[in-house]
Amino acid sequence: MKKTPERVEILAAEYVLGSLKGPARLRFEGWMMESGRVRQEVWFWEQQLGALSTIAIPETPPPSIWSGIQQRLWPEHSKPKAPVSSRAGWFWPGWGLTATAAAVFFAVLLVLQPSPVPERPMLAGAIIEAELGDPLWLLSETDRGNLLKLRAVAAGSAESGKDYELWVVPEEGRPLSLGVLPASETHQVGLSDEAQSSLSGSRTLAISLEPEGGSPTGAPTGPILHVTKLYEL
Amino acid sequence: MAYAEVNQDELMRLLRSVARKDRKAFQELYSKVAARMFGLCIKLANHRELAEEAMQESFIQIWHHAGEYHRDRGAPLGWMMTIARYRTLDLMRARKVRQTTGDEHLDKVEDNRGGPLDDSLRISGSAQLTGCLEELSDVQRDSILLAYYRGFTHDELSKTLSSPVGTVKSWIRRGLMALKRCLER
Repeated sequence: MKKTPERVEILAAEYVLGSLKGPARLRFEGWMMESGRVRQEVWFWEQQLGALSTIAIPETPPPSIWSGIQQRLWPEHSKPKAPVSSRAGWFWPGWGLTATAAAVFFAVLLVLQPSPVPERPMLAGAIIEAELGDPLWLLSETDRGNLLKLRAVAAGSAESGKDYELWVVPEEGRPLSLGVLPASETHQVGLSDEAQSSLSGSRTLAISLEPEGGSPTGAPTGPILHVTKLYEL
Repeated sequence: MAYAEVNQDELMRLLRSVARKDRKAFQELYSKVAARMFGLCIKLANHRELAEEAMQESFIQIWHHAGEYHRDRGAPLGWMMTIARYRTLDLMRARKVRQTTGDEHLDKVEDNRGGPLDDSLRISGSAQLTGCLEELSDVQRDSILLAYYRGFTHDELSKTLSSPVGTVKSWIRRGLMALKRCLER
């Protein structure tokens, strides 16, 4: 198809409006990459129709959006996401059944920790699936409880477009995200004071399946795949 | 385009800093535009969780691509709102969020005519766009506004407006071209 000025003009308008879809939209995006003239035409419409965007009534977004952005951009520095209040109570009623369905059982893993002697007992555990001989992940607290170390053993990658997300499940209240969990290698998670305190109380962690990059809401949105209780070393 | 109560020069300064990967500037930018952007995402998606996801993805895109912004893309806020609109539409298509519920949305568009829609556009300094939309036929304007605000496909427009797909396509194309001729006058 030739890029005649008339064709560029109408396709650019339809592209910005959103009515150009499917293969035609992809082909036009190719034209945008090739031609400055095509891009200029798109920018014209973006500016003109963009005025319609101003009509939308502003609405304060929930804090979980910003914490989610931080977590996705800088997972190594992010604190656990602020939970979304509307999700309160979602996790607890559902997780027992889901975890049972996932055919998971708990196991104790004793790992000897080197000195120095910590101020409270360090926790450790494993996430095990019944059919597999090897654990999926081995877990242990290090650095006086500031860090949680996870070593993937038999864990496979999440399905395409999905990620595993690790949660501290407190004795009461909503789960706290510890971020997305890679299915390979050793992974360390920094524990905030809140996460440490919750974990030393409940000793319970969970893994859910989430959209790529982690839960968009700050609370588990996908199935709870595994739940495990940690034990004192 | 002009946006009320937003200092575009300030946004421009913040975008430059974000392009240099300044996280503080990014947070400030977020605080300045988040409410407007979220309002747009919700209006478009009519689905809160999808709007939240679109917001996150939009800001992640802004973080990665701030250096690609330039004046030809329009005012900084307009550029960011355009990103949010595209991301929301992408997610709506990916999730196949269907908006068609009979004539409900059409009524909303019609109710706005000569009322809040026009007032908002005038307030935002887009009197020219308002004037040009007024020159379109009713079906052309409805088709364009439903596609813009609701991300309606031709099929969905066809159902909502009770007209064949070919007719709806023609309304949109002719309406857009008439709009352009008017805006260029």
